[in-house]
Amino acid sequence: MNRGDRQKKKLAVYTATGCRACEQGILDLNYEVNELGRFADPVFWPYVLGTPWEALPGDVDVALFAGAIRTAADREAALSLREKSQLLVAVGACAAFGGLPGLANLADSAAPAEAAPTMDAPDDGKPAVPALEPEAMCLSQVVPVDYFVPGCPPTQNLLWAAVLALVCRGESPSRLSYAAARLPEPIAEAIASGVLPPRGTIFAGEKAVCGSCSRVKEEKKFGTCKRPYEAYQETGRCLLEQGLVCQGVATQEGCGGLCTGVGVPCRGCFGKAPAIFDPGAKMVAAISSTFDSAKAEEIAGLVDGFVDLAGTLYRYSVPAQCSLLAAPAATPDQGCDRCRG
Amino acid sequence: MSEFEPKIVAFLCNWCTYVAADAAGVSRFVQKPNVRVIRVNCSGMVDPSYIVKAFVSGADGVLVGGCWPGDCHYVAGNIKAMRRAPLLKKLLRELGVEELRFRLKWIAASEPSQFAKTVNEMTEEIRKLGPFKRKKKSAKRSAA
Repeated sequence: MNRGDRQKKKLAVYTATGCRACEQGILDLNYEVNELGRFADPVFWPYVLGTPWEALPGDVDVALFAGAIRTAADREAALSLREKSQLLVAVGACAAFGGLPGLANLADSAAPAEAAPTMDAPDDGKPAVPALEPEAMCLSQVVPVDYFVPGCPPTQNLLWAAVLALVCRGESPSRLSYAAARLPEPIAEAIASGVLPPRGTIFAGEKAVCGSCSRVKEEKKFGTCKRPYEAYQETGRCLLEQGLVCQGVATQEGCGGLCTGVGVPCRGCFGKAPAIFDPGAKMVAAISSTFDSAKAEEIAGLVDGFVDLAGTLYRYSVPAQCSLLAAPAATPDQGCDRCRG
Repeated sequence: MSEFEPKIVAFLCNWCTYVAADAAGVSRFVQKPNVRVIRVNCSGMVDPSYIVKAFVSGADGVLVGGCWPGDCHYVAGNIKAMRRAPLLKKLLRELGVEELRFRLKWIAASEPSQFAKTVNEMTEEIRKLGPFKRKKKSAKRSAA
């Protein structure tokens, strides 16, 4: 166990605009967190270690970046971590696709008229909030990103697999095979052969959530739109068929159908499945094609039952994957050579 | 200065509306040249993704043409199109696409004049709306 400190990878963890559940997710790796300490030295982790920005070294090996880009401070953090890190990993739905802060882009005005007073506000009630960006963005729209670990928060097994694959690279073959066992074949093969997976890899499955959902799918007929508390029956039947807006059809798998397994409709935190052009349009197709009516008035009535369609269907992905609103990704420039390093 | 010419993408069903569009030409109806026709086998195969993609790719309007209910070559494909349109319209409206830009229309093979009329109407309505622009944030960078 006596590895010299110089062999340890330098790890940075940071959350921009987000709830820090992704950082909690890293701590939630249980005993594995101790293991992580053997391979990596967390040189910068403000949330857990209180590291100030001045202490960020210039040669970080892996930076795990969570949270969306919503303020000028977030943008600076992204630029700074990109510049100083070999690998920049977007962790969680916010960093990967914009997440819940990205819903701000649906509003007519991105900036609130007046900053609400907060608990730690100075006496005049106006806290010094960093300037807001014109729209909320995901990390890859600001700087080139090497890897993505989606989820809200990322599930333990995928997060640990990604950490093993990227941080503990080459340290221990048995650990790598553990990581490989939890990933889709192409990524797993890359890791097993001792190389990094291709840049831009998303640490998730290849199909839609329905592929790993254990519920029984029968004939699809969508009646009235229901909220989860109104509809869930312990029948083990497909939730979409029960009238719940379950987005498993359009969402990338990898979670193993955790939510649907306990009767909670999929909310789409892994982003769109790779084969899908636009998750909202796909969900519209999935729901409305099976409306249980052929009369225009009845259909209009059913449609009225849907509240906040855009906010529901693009809950985690407005900035990156809502094709009618999304901004293009940052062009790969300086990050490209560095990550091959 | 030249006037704005809308680009309209039309997904036309092979059995009814496409035939009507063909016949409209043969019958020498006066039609606006703003429509780009894409022939599909049935209006029921026009996935909402196609329509969204058309707007993303620069269309100012999208027309989906199918057979009248009951006349579908595949029995009920047009009913599927009919079910999808209202929900898609609702989504498009929330994303900043005006209602008039997307239209689902039943035009039988025997109604070429109807096709010409639809095209002309739609072109003029969209010309009034102006080019389709993606919803942009009105807020500037606010200094806190």
